[in-house]
Amino acid sequence: MSGTEPVQRIAEVLIRASCRRLPEDERAERCKEWSAELPAILDDTSIRLPILRAVRALRYSAGISRTTRQLSRASGRSAQAGAAGWRDGAMSARAAGPGSRMTIGVIVWLVVIFAAVSLLRAHPDPNSWPFILLLALAAAFDAFCLIDIARASQVRYLPKWAWALICLAQCPGGGIVYLCIGRVGRAQSAPPSSAQRP
Amino acid sequence: MCSLGLVKLTAPLERVLRVLLADPVAPHYGYDLMKAANLASGTLYPMLARLQEEGLVDSQWEDRSPDAGGRPPRKYYRLTAEGARVARLELAHASTASASTRRVAARPAHGTPGSAL
Repeated sequence: MSGTEPVQRIAEVLIRASCRRLPEDERAERCKEWSAELPAILDDTSIRLPILRAVRALRYSAGISRTTRQLSRASGRSAQAGAAGWRDGAMSARAAGPGSRMTIGVIVWLVVIFAAVSLLRAHPDPNSWPFILLLALAAAFDAFCLIDIARASQVRYLPKWAWALICLAQCPGGGIVYLCIGRVGRAQSAPPSSAQRP
Repeated sequence: MCSLGLVKLTAPLERVLRVLLADPVAPHYGYDLMKAANLASGTLYPMLARLQEEGLVDSQWEDRSPDAGGRPPRKYYRLTAEGARVARLELAHASTASASTRRVAARPAHGTPGSAL
């Protein structure tokens, strides 16, 4: 029971943050409704593994983020039907790209940290296999990110050396942030790199 | 008269309506519907909000004091009388329509409709 409390708190924080998009009069009620579903998910005995229940709860709160984005867009459209409302909707749709990828990144990071902490709490001895396994995974992930940065023809928002420093500074977090927003996909990066060559 | 108004009958909506129609008077909470209709929260809640706006679904807070079992009160959804009527008609219409589109869709040139969400 006590193991689910941090997950529930994280999910509640995510839900509360999503609810800020809603108009003030329905915000509190929606927030209450969605937070009340979390115990049902975290105590859902049809999902056997607690970690899967935690993932489900976090995915649930990510879905709430999508929900409030849609609801706020819909209410904005009905409130100010016209050019201004349309432009507002178009802008929020464009801004959703890096933002939603960042949300996914934060969720991945939380799950990784949660799994690592629970594993280490079960085996606190520094010579035990989980400790070595986590170190190896961290090193492999950092190496993967650094190699990816080195081989990329271009990265977004920051220079390559800054992304490399960020990846080294915070082991899973920096790499996850880079992969979520700094990395340029292969399909997007190919045309500019061939254009630069001549 | 027998339409869902602004709401288009998509596959997820059809699943939700089927679950709600299976027992029209039983109240359902969000996670219950998510599991029964096999939908993500990001699909279900916008849909419920639209159905509620159209007056086809109404919601009600669970009647229980917050500290009774440690669990906070939930919000329950169920079809209104109008909603049950419309849902039955739409589902009946959809099942006859899908039978006829299946014959049309047998031709390979028919493009798959993109998900609207």
